[in-house]
Amino acid sequence: MELSESVQRGLRSLAEPSTFDQSSYGVLVDVSFRSLLSAKAEPGVLDQPELKQIDQILLKQSHTAATTFILEAVKHNADKSAISSCLEELAFSAERIEIFYSTHQKHKKELERLLASIGRCPPRINDASWRLQYHVKNDQVDKVNEPFYLISLNTENEGSEEDINFTCTVEQLQDLVGKLKDAAKSVEKASQM
Amino acid sequence: MEEVDNILIHALKQVGTEVSEETGSIKQFTSELIVEAVVRCIRVIDPGLGSALPTFLPPGMSARFRVGMSLAQACQDIGYKGEIGYQTFLYSNEPEIRSLLMFLVEKLPRESAEASDQPTGKSVVLQKAIAAAIRAQLAVPWLPPNCRLPLHGETQSPGAQHNFHVQPLSLPHCTKGPGKKQLKGGQGSLIYMLEDYQRDVLPPVTAQPSHQASVVASILEQHTAELSAAQEWDNEWNTQGLLSRLTPQEYRSRKLARLRKRIEEQLRSAALPCPESAFGGPRSASDLSELLQAFRGSAPSDHILTKGTHFTHTQKFTFTQVRTAPRAQHKHAAPPILSGHQSESDMQLRQQEEQASLQQQFQQLSALPCLLSCVHGGCVWVQVLDELKQRELGNSEKEEKMQVKKKTIDLLPDADDNLPKLQAVVEASAKRVVHLASQWEKHRAPLIDEHRRLKEICSNQDLESSRKLSEIKSLHDKIRVSTEEAKKKEEIYKQLVTELENLPQDVSRSAYTQRILEIVSNIKKQKEEITKILSDTKELQKEINSLTGKLDRTFAVTDELVFKDAKKDESVRKSYKYLAALHENCNQLIQTIEDTGTILREIRDLEEQIETENSSKTVANLERILDDYKAIRQENSALAAKVREG
Repeated sequence: MELSESVQRGLRSLAEPSTFDQSSYGVLVDVSFRSLLSAKAEPGVLDQPELKQIDQILLKQSHTAATTFILEAVKHNADKSAISSCLEELAFSAERIEIFYSTHQKHKKELERLLASIGRCPPRINDASWRLQYHVKNDQVDKVNEPFYLISLNTENEGSEEDINFTCTVEQLQDLVGKLKDAAKSVEKASQM
Repeated sequence: MEEVDNILIHALKQVGTEVSEETGSIKQFTSELIVEAVVRCIRVIDPGLGSALPTFLPPGMSARFRVGMSLAQACQDIGYKGEIGYQTFLYSNEPEIRSLLMFLVEKLPRESAEASDQPTGKSVVLQKAIAAAIRAQLAVPWLPPNCRLPLHGETQSPGAQHNFHVQPLSLPHCTKGPGKKQLKGGQGSLIYMLEDYQRDVLPPVTAQPSHQASVVASILEQHTAELSAAQEWDNEWNTQGLLSRLTPQEYRSRKLARLRKRIEEQLRSAALPCPESAFGGPRSASDLSELLQAFRGSAPSDHILTKGTHFTHTQKFTFTQVRTAPRAQHKHAAPPILSGHQSESDMQLRQQEEQASLQQQFQQLSALPCLLSCVHGGCVWVQVLDELKQRELGNSEKEEKMQVKKKTIDLLPDADDNLPKLQAVVEASAKRVVHLASQWEKHRAPLIDEHRRLKEICSNQDLESSRKLSEIKSLHDKIRVSTEEAKKKEEIYKQLVTELENLPQDVSRSAYTQRILEIVSNIKKQKEEITKILSDTKELQKEINSLTGKLDRTFAVTDELVFKDAKKDESVRKSYKYLAALHENCNQLIQTIEDTGTILREIRDLEEQIETENSSKTVANLERILDDYKAIRQENSALAAKVREG
């Protein structure tokens, strides 16, 4: 897991006991996690009483570095050894690493969900209903005599339900089913790698 | 022996033979089991041979005989060098079966060779992780939406989705004390203002973007941009920067100047061919000069350039925008007065629309249209300046020429007097020139020597520095290669550890390897003992030889001596007879001892043979052979009777 220069600098200043003593370190770690997870932007998130004596620019740099490090750790799904080795290189003491890791474990699921919510996803099919009709004749042709299917797919997209309706002949339906089977097989193959 | 049997049974089970749990050793294999095992092994080793062979013995005796022969033939085709025939399968004995099965199991193709060829690398690790995640998701059964538990939340009912939307963040940075002192007054105050802004007003990074998902996206994007910029700078510095032998700051400032010049040239050349643009005419001159001043003047250190000028540029462009807006209004005010077609309200509407669109453009932070227009106007002004300068130069030259001609004209009326005066002046000045030239020569020589000496020193230093540069480069390369190797090896190690955990655990290889190592050490000890015994035996043999030799010699000597005296004396003759008898008896004793030894050896050999014969259960086999022989005879007679009848 690589970190850029400014993030390393911010984390190093966070590790120094002279800049951040034990209580303010804990408060800043909590604040960093909270500021990432809160649904609304809170500009006053750094206005904690324990953080008032620290130079504000240094505080903001450390906050930026801490949030970047948290996001990178969740993105890489880093285990305890990776996080500890990273923080040890930046001169963190063992108990600070412990504090950081325990808070990380507490909020890991939410952060993962937050990261997973970025992206696109097509609607998911929940249900399908079908109807087989027989086309006897219409106003232009006297004898048609063809069966066809009316398919209605009940999909769900971001919590709202929607129906997709279409008609198809038997061959088209077979084609669709064949494609679905191919898709299932390729997913199986991908999981066998 | 049990370990060998266990390994064989395990391998046979893997091939597909059904070995029941009680058969613990080869001794308990029945003929059917042996045939099945052998045929399955052959099928795996060579499918062509094996497909023709049945896995079980048919009941009829002649069919069994035929099957045995074909199996023996197949084994010989595969390459078994020992003695093999139908009897190995029908009337088996343990050592032969063990050696045959070991040969076949060794011939089985190894699946492990494929696994070790898998490439290791980051992409493979990622693909394996993806495959594991897909497997885990496939294992969770699908439930209709009303029955879903939170555990299905991620994969089966998605929450709100956001796009990956990045907003630029402004990060606070520290300027240290000494940096501030080097700045001139205007920039210093700018730094202080910037710091105050960062300290008091700038919101923390997580509060800057407008949406929670954009926070994540923007922070990650910012970090990746920094990382890639650092990597690019490293690459560039290692390839071009070191060669130019400048310090990093000098290299950066030179590159900056180069880029600025190129931008200016390109803007000028782009602005020139379009004579009619939206904003022509009277204003933009001052804007361009200020802009160019801003380019030139705001770079005492890199910090300010990369972060501060972002701020100053936005400042500048907001101010120019404010200025262009009224000018745009002026410009648009002019043509309607001239043309006189539009009404006042239309004009004002148009002005307002123009203003709004302009403000929009600038808010999108693309200052370039404004810049191009400024440059175009300023370009013309710069050309005019250049012309002016050139004309002034021409003017001054012509003035000088005029002065000279005036002087000569003044001197003309008094020509006779002035001519020798002028000649004298010319001679004096010529002499002065010569004198000065000689003085100059005197100065020049040592200076040239000095110059040459310094040049030599310079070239030596150049050589030194190029050599050191190449050393530095090779060291860099070595560092990079070894860090890459270390990283790769760590990754391989992690991968192999995970693979080892995933491997099936039924056969414990460590127990086998320990036994093998024990056996090897035992054999080594035994070999030492054997060599010791051999050397002891050799010693003994040598002693025996020397003793017998001594004995013969002493006996020969005593024999002669006594024989010489025996002719005269009776008692000596008797002692001679006793001596001969003693020698004879001792010889016999030695002979019997040697015979006893050989007979003991033969006994031991015979006992070993008895043991091996006992283990090959020949008696039982002979009985079976007799029974089968009787069965074959019966079958033969039955077939003959059938032939006779039909």
